[in-house]
Amino acid sequence: MANYAEKVRLDIERWVASGLVDRATGDRLAIEIVKTAPRAFTFGSVLAAMAAILLGASVLVFIAANWEAIPRIVRVLALFALIFGSYVGGALLKERGSGFGEALYLLGAVAFGGSIALIGQMYHLSGDETEAILVWCIGTAVAAAGLRSPMLTNAAVLLAITWLLMRTGDWGRSAGFPYFYLVLAAALWAISYWTRSMAARHILLLSISLYAVLFGFSFVFSDDFATFGVVGAALAILATIVFFAAHNFPEDVERYAQLGGPAPAHSLIAFVVGIAMVQVKVYDQFGLMLLATLVAFAGIVTALLLRGRQSALMRWIAYAAFTVELAFLYFVTLGALIDTAALFLFSGLALAGVAFFIMRLERRFGTRPVEGAAS
Amino acid sequence: MTASRRRLLLAAMVALLQIGFLGWMIMGRAAILRDGREVLLKVEPVDPRDLLRGDYVRLGYEIGSVPRSLFANPPADISKAAGQPAFVRIAKQSDGFWRAIGATVGEPIATPAAPDQVDIRGSLTGYEAPGPDAAMRLFVDYGIDRFYLPEGEGLAIEKDMVVRPFGILAAIAGDGTAQIKGLMDGETMLYAEPPY
Repeated sequence: MANYAEKVRLDIERWVASGLVDRATGDRLAIEIVKTAPRAFTFGSVLAAMAAILLGASVLVFIAANWEAIPRIVRVLALFALIFGSYVGGALLKERGSGFGEALYLLGAVAFGGSIALIGQMYHLSGDETEAILVWCIGTAVAAAGLRSPMLTNAAVLLAITWLLMRTGDWGRSAGFPYFYLVLAAALWAISYWTRSMAARHILLLSISLYAVLFGFSFVFSDDFATFGVVGAALAILATIVFFAAHNFPEDVERYAQLGGPAPAHSLIAFVVGIAMVQVKVYDQFGLMLLATLVAFAGIVTALLLRGRQSALMRWIAYAAFTVELAFLYFVTLGALIDTAALFLFSGLALAGVAFFIMRLERRFGTRPVEGAAS
Repeated sequence: MTASRRRLLLAAMVALLQIGFLGWMIMGRAAILRDGREVLLKVEPVDPRDLLRGDYVRLGYEIGSVPRSLFANPPADISKAAGQPAFVRIAKQSDGFWRAIGATVGEPIATPAAPDQVDIRGSLTGYEAPGPDAAMRLFVDYGIDRFYLPEGEGLAIEKDMVVRPFGILAAIAGDGTAQIKGLMDGETMLYAEPPY
């Protein structure tokens, strides 16, 4: 967002210089943009957060490594003091407007997670890492809501995704699929309005694709590829609905989702992931495979035509997806239709075709590739 | 109350909430160590080469695999029963170790345990395999298969464990939760765990 304000400031100067707007209007616009631009992520606060994580890690590793030297009760009490000091100290610093406030909150959350690990070590608890992450996540979410902290909200979202990955990766122990993630994600989404964390909502939206893939895979492990494909198709359909909702009713979607502008890029990613799941299911049936691929191409091109002009991110996601799709199609037809020599020939021709197509689009959007890469 | 006061109060409340939760975890575990029934479980080396990872010893228990025939209601498809609670009744044997004599899945064992018996709660891992006597055995996880050691002290124990029997002194809570109390090398207690 800082980039946006900076870019507009440069544009205003150019307009003033070229006489498009007079100096007074230009100055008023420049003040307006500084006032309304969301408070940017400053490098100071980012570095403070990194410092908090490093400090937290150092304390925890130090305690874990020297666990004989310091009596366990002292270690526990030291961590409790760190939790209390971090939250209360963070609140004091926030009161003074210091960027270290959020960083101290983060240190408190790290100390909370470290305490859970320390208790696990003290009582030789095993097999509880996944549950421990969930407890850590919920504790951090409660702290985020209580302290109205965007940083802690983001941390809780990342912990929730970590829990989802650990829970689904842990096939030996897992008791069923972690549907609870949806509840967790919905709760964190609600908290993110209160804590004004836009980043948390973006990450949560992206995590839906991840959730769908993991959910689909839970069927693959019992050799149920049909359901895997159905999950993919459902994800692609949902993504299409969300895409058109965001495209056609940008104000309404923005009012509820508050993502800092319509963001159909998430839905394009979800669409491509969903179609890819369908393709994995039907890869050995040429007709269905071709149909799925055509749907994928049509979706990507539609996204590009409707949103590509506004969003450089959208263009790059679309190009990447297009190229991956093409490669995928060639891999699948390799054994059945063409030999390796023909594959190289067609790949070369296809790549030239993609390049030609992209150049046409770039010209249509009036952007040169170098600028697209930079923006 | 001013806004800044309220913010500080909230921060203190969040901190106390988290600390209270952690304290509750500690109290629960300490209570098992203090009041739980003491049992001695025989430990089998899991894999002589992979006993030690980081600074904990992985423990495999004799009661970690329970013969299918001991279960009152064994699951038909073990792979679908992963994570289900299992209750295993163990009884003290003449060599001092406690061994499984009965088990149920899902519900606790209905009949009360005799004085020299205790019910321990675990969960099915979703795997089964034939034991040395060719009878099918279900693998049960009691959440006590790690023993954390001071850094660097695990290697000697790892070697000793292969050549002579080790035991874990465990405390069993009223609901069957097991808690490691000490690591035994034959009759000698190598590490004893204080409640706190």
